[in-house]
Amino acid sequence: MNTNLIDIYVSEVGRRLPRKTRADIEAEIRSILQDMLEERSQKTGKPVDEEMTLDVLKAYGAPEKVASTYLGDRYLIGPRLYPIFMLVLRVVLMVTGILAAIGLGVAVYQTTLTSLNAFETILKAIANFATSVMIALGNIVLIFAILEWALFRAGAKVDVKGLPKEKEWDPRSLIKVSTPNQVKMGETIVEIVGCFAAIVIFNFYPQIIGFSPSLNSVFENGNWSSVTFAPLLSEAFFYYVPFLTLVWASTILLNIVLLRMGHWTTLTRVFVIGLKVINILIAGAMLAGPSLIAATTGALTNALGDAEAARIMMTLLTQGVRVALWLAILGGSIDVIRMIYRTVAGSK
Amino acid sequence: MLYMLQYNAVYGDAMTNESFENVILELRRGVIVLVVLSRLDKEQYGYSLINGLKEHGLEIDQGTLYPLLRRLESQGLLQSNWRIEADRPRRYYILSEEGRALLPRLKEEWTSIVSMMKKML
Repeated sequence: MNTNLIDIYVSEVGRRLPRKTRADIEAEIRSILQDMLEERSQKTGKPVDEEMTLDVLKAYGAPEKVASTYLGDRYLIGPRLYPIFMLVLRVVLMVTGILAAIGLGVAVYQTTLTSLNAFETILKAIANFATSVMIALGNIVLIFAILEWALFRAGAKVDVKGLPKEKEWDPRSLIKVSTPNQVKMGETIVEIVGCFAAIVIFNFYPQIIGFSPSLNSVFENGNWSSVTFAPLLSEAFFYYVPFLTLVWASTILLNIVLLRMGHWTTLTRVFVIGLKVINILIAGAMLAGPSLIAATTGALTNALGDAEAARIMMTLLTQGVRVALWLAILGGSIDVIRMIYRTVAGSK
Repeated sequence: MLYMLQYNAVYGDAMTNESFENVILELRRGVIVLVVLSRLDKEQYGYSLINGLKEHGLEIDQGTLYPLLRRLESQGLLQSNWRIEADRPRRYYILSEEGRALLPRLKEEWTSIVSMMKKML
């Protein structure tokens, strides 16, 4: 019975410990408890019984408390990344809030307002906002948890003594902040978050890019109108998604490496130049290839309920995409030239 | 008003005592590593170490000592081995070569801290 109690107690502590050290710590706690029981038995002159075992276990402490003493401080997002995490979170929540407000405005504008459908529209907008916030929050936490692990746990440099070693901080780095070789942490993390969001949206939720009936449905004569979903992007666009995903994933990896190194090197610059050239080529192919817009004036007329508005929207979309692609090519080319200059200047 | 005075008398004292206990704990925590290293020039198992320290008037919580021993071992300052005694295993700890080399320097540092504190207090 006493051995059984100790076994139960030890395994309760053990299941809260990492598998790697569990057996060793369990053996140690068992040995300590036996020492405590032996000493108590000698002092009282009584044999070890259940009551004595219970007393010793109580004195040793609750299993979760004992386990926590072996675990130390553990973070999902540690103090070094927390301020940037909060900054990104605030920005993303603000943008999500603004988009939700715009969505609500559009929905209210397009709905023939009655007290019933106004209430429904607002409820839907709140539900959409809550869902978007939860998705955004979940993804941001996931990204930062991965960054925390990649930057400070998996790669924590440990010397022979097992002491974590940090790179020596040089106060002179304060005046070098604006030098071209310094990696800007905020920008880099924002880029990681952006690439991750792009991978998730274009690969797993492409259906959200378009004109959703949830915003455009009209409540008339006691029925919701049968407005169908009008997708914005064509199949031609999704042909490029695997290539873009590869570029985004490479950008995330590169940014993690940059965050860990803290400065640019010739190799990382050459890698970025390569990525930017691939981006330019993809943008060029998109410009030369079939239209990236799936929506037609007819589909937009159905979705928006106004032929003139649909025609204007269609023109804006097609011209907007062309302008955006030209800007991507121009901006990318300027970046490539700038980076080549820095690489050559830096290697001198 | 009377209630406020009573409240301050009861809880004010409780807070002072709690703060005092916390400061004492912090002070002791700072010396535990040195104490443990200095006691482990001879091989000891954890429970005998706790009892030995208690005899000298220093009570260490088990939840503090055992994780500390493991940490010092992972830092290379201690080494341990399991031994079967009276039909059950016990883990014995002793200073490693590195720990032995470090201890005199720590003692020296401690002496200088004490003399500095004596001048300041």
